[in-house]
Amino acid sequence: MTMYAPRSVTELQALVLDSERIHVIGNGSKPALHCAVNGAAIVDLSGMSGIIEYQPAEYTATVRAGAPVRELSAALREKGQYLPFDPLLPEAATIGGTVASNLSGSRRFRYGGVRDFILGAQVVDGEGRAFGVGGKVVKNSAGFDLSKFLVGSMGKYAIMTELTFKVFPDVPRFRSLGFHYEELEEALSAIYFINQSAYELDALDLAPPSVHPINRGKKNGNWMLLARLAGFDDTLPRRVERFTAAMTRDTATIRVEELHDSAALWNPLADLTGEFLVKVVIPPKQLPAFDALIAHNRRRYSVGGNIAWAATDDIAQLDTALTSCGLTGLCLSGAVDSALIGVPIDNALAERVKQVLDPLGKLV
Amino acid sequence: MMNRGILQALQKIYPADRLLTRDVELLPYESDALTAFNAKPGAVVLPVNEEEIIDTVRLCHQLALPFVARGSGTSLSGGSLPIPEGLTIGLNRLNRIKKIDPLQRIAVVEPGVINLHITEAAQPYGLYYAPDPSSQSICTIGGNIAFNSGGAHCLKYGMTSNHVLAMKVVLADGTVTRFGGESVDGVGIGPDLVGLFVGSEGLFGIALEITVRLMPQPELYQTVLAAYDDLGRAGDAVSMVVASGLLPGAMEIMDRLAIKAAEASVSAGYPDAEALLIVELEGEALQVEAEFEQLLGIIEKSSAIEVRVAQNEEERTRIWKGRKGAFSAVGRLSPDYIVQDGVVPRSRLGEALVEIGALKDKYQLDVANVFHAGDGNLHPLILYDGREAGALERAEALAGEILALCISLGGSITGEHGIGMEKRDYLPAMFSEEEIDIMEGLRRAIDPNEIANRGKMFPGGEAPALSQHGVHPLERAGLISRE
Repeated sequence: MTMYAPRSVTELQALVLDSERIHVIGNGSKPALHCAVNGAAIVDLSGMSGIIEYQPAEYTATVRAGAPVRELSAALREKGQYLPFDPLLPEAATIGGTVASNLSGSRRFRYGGVRDFILGAQVVDGEGRAFGVGGKVVKNSAGFDLSKFLVGSMGKYAIMTELTFKVFPDVPRFRSLGFHYEELEEALSAIYFINQSAYELDALDLAPPSVHPINRGKKNGNWMLLARLAGFDDTLPRRVERFTAAMTRDTATIRVEELHDSAALWNPLADLTGEFLVKVVIPPKQLPAFDALIAHNRRRYSVGGNIAWAATDDIAQLDTALTSCGLTGLCLSGAVDSALIGVPIDNALAERVKQVLDPLGKLV
Repeated sequence: MMNRGILQALQKIYPADRLLTRDVELLPYESDALTAFNAKPGAVVLPVNEEEIIDTVRLCHQLALPFVARGSGTSLSGGSLPIPEGLTIGLNRLNRIKKIDPLQRIAVVEPGVINLHITEAAQPYGLYYAPDPSSQSICTIGGNIAFNSGGAHCLKYGMTSNHVLAMKVVLADGTVTRFGGESVDGVGIGPDLVGLFVGSEGLFGIALEITVRLMPQPELYQTVLAAYDDLGRAGDAVSMVVASGLLPGAMEIMDRLAIKAAEASVSAGYPDAEALLIVELEGEALQVEAEFEQLLGIIEKSSAIEVRVAQNEEERTRIWKGRKGAFSAVGRLSPDYIVQDGVVPRSRLGEALVEIGALKDKYQLDVANVFHAGDGNLHPLILYDGREAGALERAEALAGEILALCISLGGSITGEHGIGMEKRDYLPAMFSEEEIDIMEGLRRAIDPNEIANRGKMFPGGEAPALSQHGVHPLERAGLISRE
């Protein structure tokens, strides 16, 4: 396996032209995405790093794809702003890898995912062409929106070298609450209650009895709905009070506790140990059926029950569970032949893009 | 008139009352909300289900017959303008809301469903559909998808693309494909095909079924209207709001001419001023109340000559009525006008407005300015009289200079109206030859015959007649407006 570390777009273009097969890697924080690359030249983009332009007054930031997420987040934090799509691996991932794999953390709940905050990109495609897609302003509808297409594209259509995002002002204070439910269905009803209410939560996750640290070790623990409110000193306590009152009155919660708000609490992967770690995109209504099949696994239902994170030592079993529920999973760690498991995706439109950007199939 | 063979093939799909070929039947379809252009389609078909659409697209592919899908024809960039002698596929009859699922906050709709009807169906559950183009009471979701429509409330929650979770589409070569799902993560795994399809201006194919996300109705709106004796000061106020860390749902500015038009048209009761700024906060009541206090503090420091706070829903509606009606109101001041849709970085709004002022003098035309200040999206309305020789050409030249200005300031030629017919010659100002080649390549990979909405988005190609003047009949009736 040959490793390359281009320092410029021109070097990257030359590499693409000289190679038969290319596989891109950032910091390698999601090893399963790099399993099936069979002799392709590995291009490490972490050398193409740094913030190119950050304009707090415009709510926009442009960075090189190899930049660590933590570098961009730190620069934003200094100006009281943040990436609302909440990169999943804020300490380990590069920004390019986060976009390529479309991985958001729990705070995606409030304003949306990567697709909702990407504005444009510079890329090098499989033909070695360097060009731009999208734009650099917060609103733009000129041309086909290939920048959104890059989200989740896994480096298989074009290699991102530069990315522009919309960013938002962050809030200074957070409060986290845990609502306990005896059954999954009750916790799910509480999610539905929140969905139809005007309470604006910063994040909403659901942890099964065995997983969360507070529940861990207890044989018959409860389902815990983790809710986070964000705001300002003067109103947050009253909002927390109001929300708690509504939840205890209108849902089947058996206990409420204030949790210590921390990055660890809101890292959906914090307690997921297992050989394979998998992201599943799931409509909340399918949670009971899916959960019944994977109840022995460590798991957490994030973003209001719309994204499942599951850890397992038996990937075949998880694959079967996904298939029987009609769901698709993306494996992030563990040795796999294909990072995609469960039901395959209808790729008719993506294949057309591939024909144009990488007709020789160089990018894998 | 279409050739007999094509008509016979269409007759196999459509009964006579849904296959329009006579001049008088075709007339309403000759133009859209960009009234400067018109063209006569060869025929108009009115499918009632997705099978008919699929059959029609497959037939068009087979015969290399150009087609354009059309909803209510409110495109401001000429996006739904007929292709001369081509087929117009009218989608208004596919107007079923197939499902409202309040628990998961989603709706599944057909392409001909009117934007506002989704909100109306969701309202009993305390939910709404967020994108709110000014034409929302008549424009369809299919059209919103083609042009990634926006509205006044985009800064916080995005445009159409950000609210679509899943789609079933027929590509221009007849392939039927689905992408996305009911999870709020949408496509979630694999390239974001929803994001690619939305905003493709009808060049990729036709959306058959669309899953959109719904949002909870905010508990409280707080709306303030501030008047300034200088347009620049209104712009400065926007910068101050942004710098404070507040995230308003909407920030809109209107200049003197736009205010005058709105007053003449809907009597919104606006103050007499050089510029008006509307800022709206929305969300949980406790939070909004606290933020609104902060906002009023900022407005107070912004040298506003008058500040009005909407005390109730009625007053809020009145403030918005003037703003949302501003475009059609301009029709009262001038027989014809062109709406531009360029975007500049927010911090350069002031510069852009000064430049537009200078251009206005150069071309001796009036320009009314209405814009989504929060996201730097300008809507200069260039007023002209189409009966005056050379006036339209002057207006178009001025429009072109405004687009060039937006690009030179680091912005975009369109924020939410799309390229369509109107701005296709300006695409090269924003994208390199190679970038346009790649986009054209993509178009051909999906549509080898280039039949879907032929003549739009890309420069060149046959242009329809540039003749009409006067507002669209629907606009005159107050049914559509241009935002």
